[in-house]
Formats: sequence, structure tokens, C-alpha cells
Amino acid sequence: MIRLLLRLYPAAWRRRYGDELAQLLAATGLSPATAWDVARGALRERGRAVRRHLQGEGTMVLGPAWRHPTAWALAALVVLAPTMGVVFVSIVAYQLGATALQPPMDAMLGVVDRWRVLDLALVAAPALALLAAAAPLLRVELRDRDGTRELALGVRLRALNLLIAVLALGVGVLLAGHILVESVLQLGP
Amino acid sequence: MDARSWPNDPGLLLLISLAGGPKHGHAMLLDVQRFAGVRLGPGTLYGALSRLEELGEVEAMPAEGRRRPYRLTDAGRRTLAGRLEGLRRAVDVGLERVAT
Repeated sequence: MIRLLLRLYPAAWRRRYGDELAQLLAATGLSPATAWDVARGALRERGRAVRRHLQGEGTMVLGPAWRHPTAWALAALVVLAPTMGVVFVSIVAYQLGATALQPPMDAMLGVVDRWRVLDLALVAAPALALLAAAAPLLRVELRDRDGTRELALGVRLRALNLLIAVLALGVGVLLAGHILVESVLQLGP
Repeated sequence: MDARSWPNDPGLLLLISLAGGPKHGHAMLLDVQRFAGVRLGPGTLYGALSRLEELGEVEAMPAEGRRRPYRLTDAGRRTLAGRLEGLRRAVDVGLERVAT
């Protein structure tokens, strides 16, 4: 948990003070209030780092996911999995006529209807997964070169991230199509 | 001491703490709590400490294991004296007005 909290700080700050802060947290113990204090501190340091870079000090890199593309791809897959499962089983149950799957799907969709937050999470998941999978493919760098600020854009292709991004896009399109059809059917002739 | 009687400025509290001698993070937390009754969070403490170091008002000493003591610099001592003097003027005026 301490390591996770330290990850919230800018890398340069973490290299300088990370060990000492970790030592202090180990000595004082990690209560929710302490965790909140550290998270707020990290946010302030991130703000200071951005302000410093905007004032022309050093190089600013925007690409928090660049260094951990596989972890981000797997996180995207975890976020996408429930929606992908619902969409896949719905197609098999209702479009391909697997009647045995319909009662459990009806029960599950009933639960989703009652809990709007679940419904929202299932609908938002493909977009979030798309962002998470694609984020490590982009990197923006603002750097000083002979006194002038220079913007460099880095793009790369990684099969796993692209595959999950396309998957998320596909699930999102299917879901949007389903919602559209349902809305039209509800409006009636 | 009532923590409300202190200005809400962790940097000032750390300067006062280090004016009493070099300390590492945990010792500063305990010291501030002792003399001001203010319980600084670790994130607040290191945020303030990094700013003071950037301003040249405190400096790090050689690490002792994973702990690193800090000490007040001459610039930090001057800043602290100026700020306390300013506070004293405000306190004097406040006390004078309360008494009349």
C-alpha cells in the first residue's frame, strides 16, 4: 500500500524523498487519514511539477502509462471483461437462440436494471477500457532545446494493447447498437 | 497548547523545529506535535520539507540508513527570524487591542 501511494508522486520527487517518506509511513503507521494526506501531497507535487515545466524548467513527459503498457492492457481487459461477458452471452442467448441461457440472463439483467450504478458501469466500461489500452501508445514530451520549448509526440504500436483497444471498441459498438435498437423498439411505431 | 493558536503553515512549524537542531522526518513530526500541538501528516511534512529545501532554507545531511536528517541553513534562520518577528508584531498589536 505504501509503495502504491508513493507511485502517485512524480518520479523525480519519489527518487529524492520516496525512501524517507516510506520510512516515515512505516514508523507512523498507515491510517486512512494518513493515506489521504499522502495522496493530497502527491497531487500537490504533481501540480508543482507541471507548473515548473510550463515555466520552462526541464522536460515534461505526459505519458503516465508509457512505461507499463502490459499492466495497462491487462487492467483494460479486467475493466472490459464484465461488459464483454454480458454482450457475448446476450448474443448467444437471444440472437442465436440458446434458450438455456435466457433465464439466468433475464435474472442478471433484472439486477442490472435495479442497480443503475451497475448499468452505468457496464455501459462505461468499453470506453474506459479503450482509453486504458490505448494510453500507453501515446507520449507527449515538452522539452527545452537551446532555450526554445519543443513539443515531441511519440506513438508506438503494441499488439496486445491494440488488440484490447479493438476489442473494447467492438464491444462498445455492439452495446451502443443494442441500446439504440432497444430505444427505437420502446418508442414503437 | 491549542493547535488553533498556530498559523496554518507547516513550513514555519518545520523551521521552528529545525531551529532546535537537526532532525529527521519522524523526529520533526513528534517535535511539532510537542511544541505546537499540531499533528502534521507525512505527506504534508515532506511537501513542506521539499519546498524549504528548494528555497535553500533547510538542507539534507548525510543519510542514516533510510532516514535523513535535515538542518536549518543560515538563510532559513534569517527567514524564520523575520517571520517570527512579523508574528510578534501581530501578536503585540492583538494583545494591545484586546486589553483596551
